[in-house]
Amino acid sequence: MSLEKRDDFDHNAWLKTKDLTPIESVFLTTLVFLDRRLRIVDYLELLENAYYKVNLQMPKSHTEQYDLDNKFWYWYPLYSLGFFSTLAYIVAAVSGALLGFYYAPTAAGDPSAAYNSIEMIMTELQFGFALRSIHRWAAQIMMAAVFLHMLRVYFTGSYKEPRELNWLLGIILISLSMVFGYTGYLLPWNQLAFWAGQIGVEMALATPIVGEWAAQLLFGGFTLGQATLIRMYILHVFVLPFVVTALIALHIGIVWVQGIAEPH
Amino acid sequence: MSENETTDDARTDGGETGIVAPDDEVPTWSERKERKSGLSRLTYEYFERSRREDQDLRNESDYVERDVLGFPTWPHEVIRNLSISMFFVGMIVLIAAALPPSLEAPADPSSTPEIILPDWYLYWSFGLLKLNPLNPGLAVLDGGKLLSDQLYGVLANVVVVGAVALLPYLNKGSARRPVEQPFWAAIGVGGAVFSITIAGLAVQNLIPLPLPLQLNIVFVFPVVAGIITYTVLKTMREGYMYGLNRRYYMLRPPK
Repeated sequence: MSLEKRDDFDHNAWLKTKDLTPIESVFLTTLVFLDRRLRIVDYLELLENAYYKVNLQMPKSHTEQYDLDNKFWYWYPLYSLGFFSTLAYIVAAVSGALLGFYYAPTAAGDPSAAYNSIEMIMTELQFGFALRSIHRWAAQIMMAAVFLHMLRVYFTGSYKEPRELNWLLGIILISLSMVFGYTGYLLPWNQLAFWAGQIGVEMALATPIVGEWAAQLLFGGFTLGQATLIRMYILHVFVLPFVVTALIALHIGIVWVQGIAEPH
Repeated sequence: MSENETTDDARTDGGETGIVAPDDEVPTWSERKERKSGLSRLTYEYFERSRREDQDLRNESDYVERDVLGFPTWPHEVIRNLSISMFFVGMIVLIAAALPPSLEAPADPSSTPEIILPDWYLYWSFGLLKLNPLNPGLAVLDGGKLLSDQLYGVLANVVVVGAVALLPYLNKGSARRPVEQPFWAAIGVGGAVFSITIAGLAVQNLIPLPLPLQLNIVFVFPVVAGIITYTVLKTMREGYMYGLNRRYYMLRPPK
């Protein structure tokens, strides 16, 4: 049913025929692993081609080659979900930066400075209501797009062979996005935020060995308070933006290098 | 050093004339610069193999490489992307305007609300935390539990995420469409349905069903959905394969 994979170039067998020191074999294995996935050799070839003035030619795409686009491939619209989640991420980043100008991550006050600042944003600030709404919806839509993107990747088999690393990276990204959403959910310091935080602390404490340490690190103790709020704030506006943006760039970069996995 | 090697060393432009080098005459990595030992030598040896593999595949393939003027990036592709992006961002703003978020009551540690929920995208995870009715009591421990209910829930999350992460190592091969692998498509549909039914478990206090019935739904519905998917895809397969084979056949008629 599936197309047979050629295995004429069995690099592992080739490695076995050579008498290598441990360093050499680790080096070669890594090189082969990376080259099989990221086609390092292609870049050298590109340089070489430029060097030898070979005119650049592009091969036909898979769709062109097998003349598949005369039939409407009904999953193509779903191929834009990754782009949509990136776009929603950018919208959330911009609106979030604007919200950050007015938000105060402080649990002290009556009922709390954090809650009051959100109330100020929503009632007094010009366009503040719209800003919070856009930020929230962009986040919701990003999560929805990310989940659907994952389903699309699953059902088109795009996670298979040279793209496993990107699948793993995607799982890390989707988890971090959920942490992003969770930390943001806690920031208004309302009832839902507080009790969602409570569940988080209980989850952390239920984990053996590292549980109490994790609760201390992430929630600043076993009961929620100022320490929790400021940690969630720093995670949400400082740590996660850098990490997630870098990982998204890497994720898209790998897609760029490996090409879109078109279905056969 | 022999005569031959010195010539090769001096010749770094790939040929006398410096014009387009046909594939066979492009000097190999080792010819271009002699590397005698160590990792660089191995690197170039491997790159030669890798290049040769690509070249063999190219020679064997029957499609004609040609100068491609693809769909132009500017303005066509850029305008298309911009219009899609603007539409999408516009939709976000429209939804945000139509359905603004509310601000609940401020945090009050002394009163537990009736409904504690995370955002919707964490319902599945929250549902897994509520699997404690399935945490078995062991006879050895006099009905005591090996894992605390909370740890059981956390582990359920770890198991689910771990299984998803292992996917590329469980399902290999080059199949790309669900019809090619009805079993894996069924697993996928079952998983998607499970993520919804388990989310229902997260809001169990809002659903007017007894807990045992709801637990049955959580696990039976995904299986049913999987079986239906499997059956449908198996049935589709015949006709689908016919069309696909005809397509490939017309491109590569047997010699």
